[in-house]
Amino acid sequence: MTRVFVVDDHAMVRAGVRAELGDDVTVVGEAADVATAVEGIRIARPDVVLLDVHMPGGGGRAVLEALRGELPDVRWLALSVSDAAEDVIAVIRAGARGYVTKTISGPDLIDAVRRVADGDVVFSPRLAGFVLDAFAAAGPAVPAPAEEATDPGLDLLSAREREVMQLLARGYTYREIGARLFISVKTVESHASNVLRKLQLSNRNELTRWAATNRLL
Amino acid sequence: MPRCDDQGVTTPAVPESPSPPQPRPPLVRVRSGRVLAGVAAGTAAHLRQDPLVVRVAFAVLATTGIGVVLYGLLWLTMPVAQPGTAEAAPPPPGVGWRPSGRRELFGLIVLAVVAVGLLSRLVQWGTSALLLPLTLVAIGLAVIWRQLDSDRELDVPGGRWALAGGAALAAGGVVLLLATTGQLTAARNGFAATLVILTGLVLATAPVWRRLLDSRSLERTARIRSEERATVAAHLHDSVLQTLALIQRHAEDPQAVSRLARGQERELRAWLYEPAVVREGGTWAGLVAGLVTEVEADHALIVDPVVVGDAPVDDALAALGAATREALVNAAKHSGADAADLYTEVTPARVSVFVRDRGSGFDPAAVPDDRRGLRDSVSGRLTRLGGTAEVRSAPGEGTEVELVLPRTVAA
Repeated sequence: MTRVFVVDDHAMVRAGVRAELGDDVTVVGEAADVATAVEGIRIARPDVVLLDVHMPGGGGRAVLEALRGELPDVRWLALSVSDAAEDVIAVIRAGARGYVTKTISGPDLIDAVRRVADGDVVFSPRLAGFVLDAFAAAGPAVPAPAEEATDPGLDLLSAREREVMQLLARGYTYREIGARLFISVKTVESHASNVLRKLQLSNRNELTRWAATNRLL
Repeated sequence: MPRCDDQGVTTPAVPESPSPPQPRPPLVRVRSGRVLAGVAAGTAAHLRQDPLVVRVAFAVLATTGIGVVLYGLLWLTMPVAQPGTAEAAPPPPGVGWRPSGRRELFGLIVLAVVAVGLLSRLVQWGTSALLLPLTLVAIGLAVIWRQLDSDRELDVPGGRWALAGGAALAAGGVVLLLATTGQLTAARNGFAATLVILTGLVLATAPVWRRLLDSRSLERTARIRSEERATVAAHLHDSVLQTLALIQRHAEDPQAVSRLARGQERELRAWLYEPAVVREGGTWAGLVAGLVTEVEADHALIVDPVVVGDAPVDDALAALGAATREALVNAAKHSGADAADLYTEVTPARVSVFVRDRGSGFDPAAVPDDRRGLRDSVSGRLTRLGGTAEVRSAPGEGTEVELVLPRTVAA
């Protein structure tokens, strides 16, 4: 059974998430602010932390940055009402394995928690859209590398990764994408985690600058 | 210009002149074309006279001493013209400082004569030994005043140096004055005592000054914050509170409630996070957001739009928007699904739109000819624009409509 820790400053949201998760997972703790979250997660050692992006005392990103090095086994899933691109990108770059909005349905949330617990990444259509936007601003897609061994660099998406992201943004599931592109679900997953890795590791300024300006100007 | 309360200062004799079709310009110091502080030019503009005349009048009065006092008083009391207002009226010829014509030359000569007269009077007043230091002090003060003028024009390059020069002139004049009157040593002692007392006072009251400064900045912050709060409150009142009231009234109709909540959520979110889309409008992202809101309001369909890239709306994009709307409405009416995904991407080469639902789906080959919605509204429109429309569907697997509009044609 997946052990989940819920961090959100609104008691109503925590209760709602608890109810939606139901009996399929064990909620091992809750916290309403950064300090109690850091303490509680240290003690509870959950499999997955559902993390609110906006909180008093530094936000979900502060929790992530405080604990990520210390607890490498904990997986983080950002759950937020915010659709602001810079928040999403910031929390992903801080180490979250996915991002879903609070409007997500119960079954979808359970599915997302499971997938994050299994080590997959969770791309909501909106997050896929943000990624496409960010990397489109950074430059055109490079041709797909013939071999996976050649690293195309962290700043660009391969043509295949772009395709996967576009299908995710169009609302396709991993399984549907695999069927559509004639690749296995595992391959789709590896494309998705590659994109996440690029998003986290690419240190060119374009990404952050994009996040800061694109949606704000 | 509502600021006419200064009129009475100089023109009490002409309160309601019948002739002027437009009101007199207000009595303000001009920003450009000033010689010293713009008092004469401003007065001239107010009296509708040539500035030269006023200047000469001031100079003549100055020989009696009244002119100097009057000028100083006016300098203190006349406000500076608002930027861009005084200049709006074409400046009368001769406003500039540089002599450009014979009239100017004449004016300068008059001024020179007056200056000589003034000097000779000054010489009469006291020993000529006093004259130099007094003049120095006067010039220094004039320079300082000009620089410290109420408008903080210290940013002008050289402004600080002029100020320092003025201070040095005035200080030199004072020292010289004291030296010539033989009171330098006495003044030095007095100066030292004053300095000590002043320093003591400043040090003793330093916390008070500090607190004053702090409270001023605090006040400023508080004001800005309260203004911001007022803006937010106004917006929330117009949108969220109204919607909440509507929701209470429709409490028995869950569908209406969820529709209202959804629409309000989207609106508030756009206001908070995508001010550009809301404020400017006229872009593809704004158009999509608008049509999604409309479709959600009219039909029981929840649409999650994802927009990548943006472009200004032209005729072709507006038509693409209409086709997108039609596709969404189709999904709402025929798919049976309660949600649809909308993805649209703007690249330099094309604008693509994908509308996907997970509803009942259909066999595209088996659509009867009288069901023309998709065919005419969507495919027809796109074909006319040089784009393509493709419908992928199978019974039980939902439907995806793909619209592609090349941008080279659109542009």
